[in-house]
Formats: sequence, C-alpha cells, structure tokens
Amino acid sequence: MNEDERKLLTLRFVVVALVFFALAGLEGTIMRFRISNMLTEFFTEKHFYAIMTAHPFVGIYGWAYMAVMGAFYFLVPYVLKRDIYSKRAAYASFWLMTIGVATVWATTFITHYAPLYTLYWPLPAAIELAGWEPISLVAFGLGAALIILGVLTFFFNMFATIFLPVRQQEVVANGGENVRAGAAYVAKELLVTAFNLDKLRAKIRGIPNYVEKVFNYPVFVVAVFRGCVDTTLNALVMGGFGILIIIFGLSYLLPGAGLSFNIIDPLIYKNVFWWGLDLIADGNVLIFTAGTWYLLVPLLLGRPLYGESVVRTVILADLVVSLFVWNHHMLADTPQPLFLQIQGQIFTWGELLTMGLTIFAVLMTIWLARPVRYSAPLKFVLASILGYGIGGTAGIIQANYSMNRYLHNTQWVIGIHGHVQLLVGLSLTIFAAIYALFPMLTGKSLNERLADVHLILMTVGGLVMGLSMGLAGSAGMLRRTLYPMGLGPYEPYMTVAIIGALLMAAGFAVFLLNVVRTIGIKALIGIFLPSKPRVASKTV
Amino acid sequence: MTIQNIIELFYLTIFTTIIGFMVFFYIVTRKPPRGGVSARERADGGAGRGMDRRERQWLYFLIAVALLGNLATLSPLVPAAKNALWAQEQPVKQVVIEVRDYKFILPEKPITIPAGVPVEFIVISDDLTYGFGVFRKDGTMVFQMQVVPKPYENRITWVFEEPGHYDIRSTEYSGPKHPYMYIPDAIAVVGGGGR
Repeated sequence: MNEDERKLLTLRFVVVALVFFALAGLEGTIMRFRISNMLTEFFTEKHFYAIMTAHPFVGIYGWAYMAVMGAFYFLVPYVLKRDIYSKRAAYASFWLMTIGVATVWATTFITHYAPLYTLYWPLPAAIELAGWEPISLVAFGLGAALIILGVLTFFFNMFATIFLPVRQQEVVANGGENVRAGAAYVAKELLVTAFNLDKLRAKIRGIPNYVEKVFNYPVFVVAVFRGCVDTTLNALVMGGFGILIIIFGLSYLLPGAGLSFNIIDPLIYKNVFWWGLDLIADGNVLIFTAGTWYLLVPLLLGRPLYGESVVRTVILADLVVSLFVWNHHMLADTPQPLFLQIQGQIFTWGELLTMGLTIFAVLMTIWLARPVRYSAPLKFVLASILGYGIGGTAGIIQANYSMNRYLHNTQWVIGIHGHVQLLVGLSLTIFAAIYALFPMLTGKSLNERLADVHLILMTVGGLVMGLSMGLAGSAGMLRRTLYPMGLGPYEPYMTVAIIGALLMAAGFAVFLLNVVRTIGIKALIGIFLPSKPRVASKTV
Repeated sequence: MTIQNIIELFYLTIFTTIIGFMVFFYIVTRKPPRGGVSARERADGGAGRGMDRRERQWLYFLIAVALLGNLATLSPLVPAAKNALWAQEQPVKQVVIEVRDYKFILPEKPITIPAGVPVEFIVISDDLTYGFGVFRKDGTMVFQMQVVPKPYENRITWVFEEPGHYDIRSTEYSGPKHPYMYIPDAIAVVGGGGR
C-alpha cells in the first residue's frame, strides 16, 4: 500500500466517520426535543427508544472508532516509517465497520428493536414481554458482529504492522533466515511489550540496566498498541454478546426451538458485559486520546514531550487499571458482593492518577514551549483537556459507592460525565487530529477563523448541554427514559440542554462549511470514486 | 439541604476552577517566560529519564485527593454509606415489593413507614432487570438501586428522616413500557422519628 493509497483510505474512514457523527448528532438533538415532549407527532415512544439504542452504536463505533481507525492507518506507518501490514484487511475493516453500523442503525429504525446498548439480560431476548420481532434480534446481532469483526480486523492489522517487521529485522540482524512470523508471534510480542513482561523476566534473571522493549517504540505507538489491547478484549466480549443475541433470535424463528432466557445468570452476564464494555472507555477514550496528545502536541510545538519515559509507564498503569474498574457500573446492584464494589471504586480513583499525570505531561510540554502560537489543532487539544477535566471529575464523583446511590442512571451520568467526556474530550481530540492531518492528506489547510468558531460553538455547546443535564440529574431526573406525563421540575434544565445541542450542531455546520470551501464538494465526492482523487502526493 | 445540593456546590466549584485555570493557562502560555526555559528542558522535555520534582509533587497531590475522596465518600458523613456500611441497628420493618411485567406489586398502598428508623426494602423481579427509586414530591431522589431478576433479591436499608409522601419509579430502562413504572405517593413516612 503506497502513501497515496493510505491517504485515500484515511480520508474515506474520516468522511464516513463524520457522516456517522452527523447522524449521531441528529439523533441526539431529536432525543433532546423528544425528552421535552416535543416532536411527538413525528417520533413515537417506540421510535425514541430505538433511536436511544442506535445512538451510542453510531456515535462510538461509527464516529469515534472509524475516525480513530482512519487516523491510525495513516499515522502509525507515518511514525514507524513502515507500510500497513495488509491492504486487504484495511479495506475489509472499512467496509465491515460501515455496513455493521448501518445494519444496527437500520434494524432499530425499521423494527424499533430497542434493548439499549446495555443489553441487560434478559431484555435483548424478551420478545414477548418487550414486544420485539424475532428477526430483529438476528439483524441487530449480525450488525453488532460485523462491527466487532471490523474492529478485530483493524486491531490485527495494527498489531501486525507494529510488531511483525521488527521480528524480520531482528532475525536478519542476528544472521538468521528471514522466517515467516505469524499471528502467534504477533500475540506474544504484543503481550510481552504491552505489559512489560520482558522487564519482569530481566528482573527475575537479575539482568542489570535492562531497557524494556517498549522503548523501541515512539510513545504514540505505545499508546496505540496498549489501547488496542483494551479494545480487542472489548471487541471479543461484545462480539460474544452479538452472537448470543443471534442464537436466541434464530431459536425463536425456528418452530419449537425457542431457548429460555433463564439459562443465563443475569448478574454474571452483567459483570462480564461491563468488564468488556468499560474497556472502550479506557482503550478508545483515554489511552488513544493520550497517545494522540502525545503525538500532536510535540509535533505542533516542535519540542520533545515532557517526561516521555514516564508517560509510557502511565499508559501501562492505565491499561492495568482498566481491567479492574468495571464494578463502578454496578454500584447500584445490591446482590453484587460489597468487596467488588469497593474495589471498583478504589480502582476508578486510579484513573484520576493516570489521567492526571497524562494531562500534566501535555500541559507541561505546552508550558515549556512558551511563547506558544496556538494553531487550530493545538487549541482543540487544549479544549479537549478541559473536557476531560470536567467530564472526568464528574465521573469520579458518581463512581463512588455512596454517591452512586443518588446519581446512578440519572442525567448526571450521561450529561456532565458521558457527553462532556465524549463530545468535548474525545471528539475535540479527533477534530484536533483532523485539523492537523488535513494539510498532509489534501495539501490544503482549513481556515483558522472558521476553526475558532467551530471550537467555541462545540465547546460552549457541549458544556452547556452537559452541565444542564448534570444538574437535572442531581435534581433527580433519570436518563434512558421519557417523562410522558411531563418533565415537571426538570423542564428548564432540558430547555437549556436543547440550546447546548443546537450550538454544537451549528459548530459542526461551520466545520463542514470550512471543509467544503477548502477542497470543494467535487473533491469530497471524489474520495469515494474509483478515479484518482485529489490528495496530496508529496511525501510527508 | 440534600446530599445532591452538596454534590452540586462541590462540583460547580470544580467546574469553574477548571475553566478558569484553562483560560488562564491559554493566556499565560501565549507570552514568553520571564526567566526563559533552561537548555536541559528544551533538550529532553524537562523530566529526563525519570519523574522530575514537579511531576512527583503533582502525583503526591493526586494520591492525597484520591485518599481523601475515598475516605470521605465511604465515611458515615454520607447517608448512603452510613446506612449501608456503618449502621448497627437491625431494620425495624421489611417491605417486600415484587416486580412483574412492568408493574410494581406493593404490599400495601401507601407503604407506611415510621420516620427515623431503619427500614429494609426487598425488591424481587420475576422477569427483567428493573430499577427501584424513591423520590421526594419535588422530584429529587432519595435513593435507588438496580433490580436484578430472580434468582436474586435486591435489598437496601434506609432511614427516612423526613415525614411525608414519596413516589416510586423504576430507575432502569427495561423496554418502551419502562416510563410508566411510576407510582405517586407509594410511600407514606409518618411520625416525628423513632429515635
């Protein structure tokens, strides 16, 4: 795969991701209006819950994952000065993700299948109680399985790109033959390097001054493969749930074969589910974001990252902590053993340390570069740090055993924590990468003034929406529900949340305008045409 | 003042502090430093191979915040922690509520509870995962828990300090019929306190 092909692939990923971002934003705005009991003639209650089910799939897998994949398909070869391991796998991951997300969305839109992303057992399989069509289980499970297959294909391609060439070089350097290294080798190298097992082995053997393998890789790449460990585990768990739903759906379609949902223990299921799902929050949201900051900030400032050797350890700590935090989702489950809940709380506070050190390293890098000329991507990075600071502290508050009794499943969780972290934190990091990569990919720069307007509207809109939802939550308003009898005391909060959502929508419209006036609509469409598109061919 | 009011005040302080700090940081970093940046910091990023003094101090600060946060939220200062982790008294009353086909089945309506004494709620679901939340008449939440279906029993002990009527609402999504799992005035807390 040559550089132009990689650029084209990245652009395709990013454009489709932006389409999904727009769709998720539209869904979110519709939900904001519908919660305030507006647009009732257009969106029934069933339709609302179907949107609520599709929204996180489109937002997380369609937007965040596809944007990250596109960026990494360009950046990892760029940083390592190597080609992507498999061109075929790269395109396969693009199509699997696109079709998978579209299938999940279409299933919920057409059939109103609405088990929500939480999939709490036995709701996904409770066809009679909840009124689901059996075919919708199969279609939804298939969409989820395609997404997960796309995710796994991407991760394998990343791991192979990062680890395989090193093997070939090592063997040749040691005078051996250039042997074929396969998936088992990649898996072994990944585990050894991601968890610093070689350092442990060196300590046991008493080897002095051993420098672990992880120092062979730029810190950005370390974040990529350590984050990919989390997200691969997540994909395996989520893929399992997709297959489970397909099996139940098929059993209901075959006469006399209907499975009883009582064969699955709901609490064990919930533990496995949250263990797997929360790994997205750490792998995709925290570690990938940290890696992107570690790459972009030194590049934009033209100076080294502050404390580069320490942040490698911080990423490892984040990876380890991420494996033990799922219980903060189960603090309201009283049958859950108490020691697990307290353990979940304490480990979650560990994320304050890892994220705190990450933010410190990035801010110190900027601080030591004074006077700083803030380019558009650097401003977006700074705003995303603001988002993580605000959303992260809200998350730490709700993830306490006692606080959760008052905040669990309220608008607090999804507003000031979830959406501020995802829209102001993660999304602004992705936009920072888009603004930084745009000249490399297209040969043209986006207008900085319009970028400022985009940034201000997105940041202010996200904070206004998140804070008003958060305050509604502390006033007792629940998430994941309509209030058909009226919002009562929560109404003013939701009105302000709508204003915040509209500000964000306006910000995104400004971004689209900026893209179209910079490269033109023809070039944008040309990305998806077989003929050679207009992309910068100069080596970066 | 409810615990939620305290959370709001505490959080709004953090919220404005973070915004204020980031704006300050943005303005200050646009200007050149007074004493300049040392050659070593320009060369190696400031921290060299290990953790430097500033980073270590920041880490100690974060550890202190984490310790204080855990101690404060697990202490009896918070009613939820007090009821669950520190209370010595046995519940004076048990209230068993069944949930089936999107309906709460109450033992009596309203459920009458004395104020100021511990009462245990046992909520059992026959089919789906639901939620069980108790709300004041102004919409603020008193407490809530998840209702994991059988074979599990979901138990919570609570002390109602304020007499009055309270609503029950399912606090977990369980399908499109979920928002109708709402019973106003389901609980009546009576008396001036049993203690």
